[in-house]
Amino acid sequence: MNQANPVLPAPPPVPSQKGTSRMTWIREDSFLEKLWRNPKARYSLGILLVVIAVGIAGPWLAPHDPTQPFYEDLLTGPSAEHMLGTDSIGRDVLSRLLHGARVTLMVAVMAVSITFITGTFIGVTSGFVGGIVDQVLMRIMDILLAIPNIIMAMAIVAILGPSLTNAMIAVGIAGIPKYARLTRGATLSVKSSGYVEASRAVGTSHARILLFQIMPNIMSPLLVYTTLQIGIAILDTAALSFIGLGAQPPTPEWGTMLSEGKEYIHDAWWLATFPGISITIVVFTVNILGDALRDIFDPKSA
Amino acid sequence: MKQFLLQRLGSGLIVLLGISIFSFALIHLIPGDPIRIMLGENATAEQVQALREQLGLNQPLLTQYFQYLSHVVQGDLGTSFKTGRPVLTEIIERFPATVKLAASGMLIAIFIGITMGILAARFKDTLLDFSAMSLATLGVSIPSFWLGILLIMFFTVKLGWFPIAGGTGFMDLVLPAVTLGVLASTVISRLTRAGMVEVLTFDYIRTARAKGLGESAVLFVHAFRNAMIPVVTIVGLQIASLLGGTVIIERVFDWPGLGSLAISAIASRDFPLVQGIILFIGVIFVLINVLVDVLYSVIDPRIEVGKLKEGT
Repeated sequence: MNQANPVLPAPPPVPSQKGTSRMTWIREDSFLEKLWRNPKARYSLGILLVVIAVGIAGPWLAPHDPTQPFYEDLLTGPSAEHMLGTDSIGRDVLSRLLHGARVTLMVAVMAVSITFITGTFIGVTSGFVGGIVDQVLMRIMDILLAIPNIIMAMAIVAILGPSLTNAMIAVGIAGIPKYARLTRGATLSVKSSGYVEASRAVGTSHARILLFQIMPNIMSPLLVYTTLQIGIAILDTAALSFIGLGAQPPTPEWGTMLSEGKEYIHDAWWLATFPGISITIVVFTVNILGDALRDIFDPKSA
Repeated sequence: MKQFLLQRLGSGLIVLLGISIFSFALIHLIPGDPIRIMLGENATAEQVQALREQLGLNQPLLTQYFQYLSHVVQGDLGTSFKTGRPVLTEIIERFPATVKLAASGMLIAIFIGITMGILAARFKDTLLDFSAMSLATLGVSIPSFWLGILLIMFFTVKLGWFPIAGGTGFMDLVLPAVTLGVLASTVISRLTRAGMVEVLTFDYIRTARAKGLGESAVLFVHAFRNAMIPVVTIVGLQIASLLGGTVIIERVFDWPGLGSLAISAIASRDFPLVQGIILFIGVIFVLINVLVDVLYSVIDPRIEVGKLKEGT
């Protein structure tokens, strides 16, 4: 048809053509596509998937029971039978490490859920409602921010009593003030944007603005904070366990394992080495993912 | 300037009041009877009653709070339940060790952070920049206590350079201070780099280079001064997280500071001591913040006006 009528300008190129060679459900500019194109995001997500798989399959991968002592193999170094050695009562370090992956992931997810739900609620309320509510909520957050994270978590464990569950709750709560502040900031910037004012002008209800405009648009910064918060939660929970206020023996938790390893620092290097490497790998990967997400959502800050 | 100072002090006071409420509330938030928890299951009814009266827990909540506050203002933070000594005495005894550790850590952090940040900015997008920033990300991902353990394993156990943990001398200080400093340096190096990258694009830097100044003069005299302001703020804020980090590091190196005290207080459920430590740390933090604000306005007088507008 075009050739039949050379006077007409050429039709615009069909936009879908560029995308057809790719999987169709990934749009050119979609979030998944951007994730895939960012090497940092790609690799860190890949490693995280492996970690999650280990967390799920850990108990089946583990060669031994994580709490079973081998009395003839106390404090033996890495060997064919015990690939990462045994601890002071002869438990297999590799098995404890693999079981610990699940504990760490569960703790991180639960703690961050507490932070995310409560922090988002407080932050959005504060930013959206404004006025005296905002003032009061943010003053309270300022007060809580005056106490260092880990000390706050310790105080909460002091109230609830030392246990893994309580450490998880404590770390979750301790993360709220900072998270709420960031969420409030994001809410404020969306609230003052043109499209929100426009829809307010045409009479959209508060609830609709909140649900369909504010919430979807603060999700990208929130995703960045949440990702980074996962790393903080893992570190803080491990720290609480390390000082004896979190997971209690014989739970195979990485922080607790490090605390036990510290006792045998002169005789058994492997005890304090492998749990530390595990924590560092997981947290490092999460942080890289957080960085990548920030680059994707906010290219200016890169 | 005076008005600015008063305003900062005012908001600091509000935060202090809030912290006092928080530390007061601590004992009331405990599920169950705190007295029973402190005394254990075997305590007699008389013992329970006596301690309840001693702590004033049998009075109305508001009366309790005002009593607590008036005691606190007079420097009376109560009596440690385990040792029977005044809480403030216990804290004051341990505080110098923590200050020594935190201050040395901060100095190391500032030195490493600023050096790395400036170098990374100067050699932006080179291998050096990439390595420095990757190290910074690694630094926020390593558990502080594990880094401490690694340092002990290598320098104390293997090389025998440092004494085995437990003392408070200079040689005992090196490893914990380095642990703290390395970790705290990460944020400083990132911010310094960001600030320097921006400043280095300015015209006056080109002018400075054009008139033949040496590279180090350009970097340190011309650029760094102007990139320093966000760094000063973060150094102030870092002190809080450093105090938090000290708690864990003290445990690793058996350093007899406030952190070790806090951990043992929580483990033995010595609530008056826990309350006192929380309050004390909160007060220190608020004081530091006010100081940083003042310092900030000294470095850059323009900030004062902007902050006042934002604050009201």
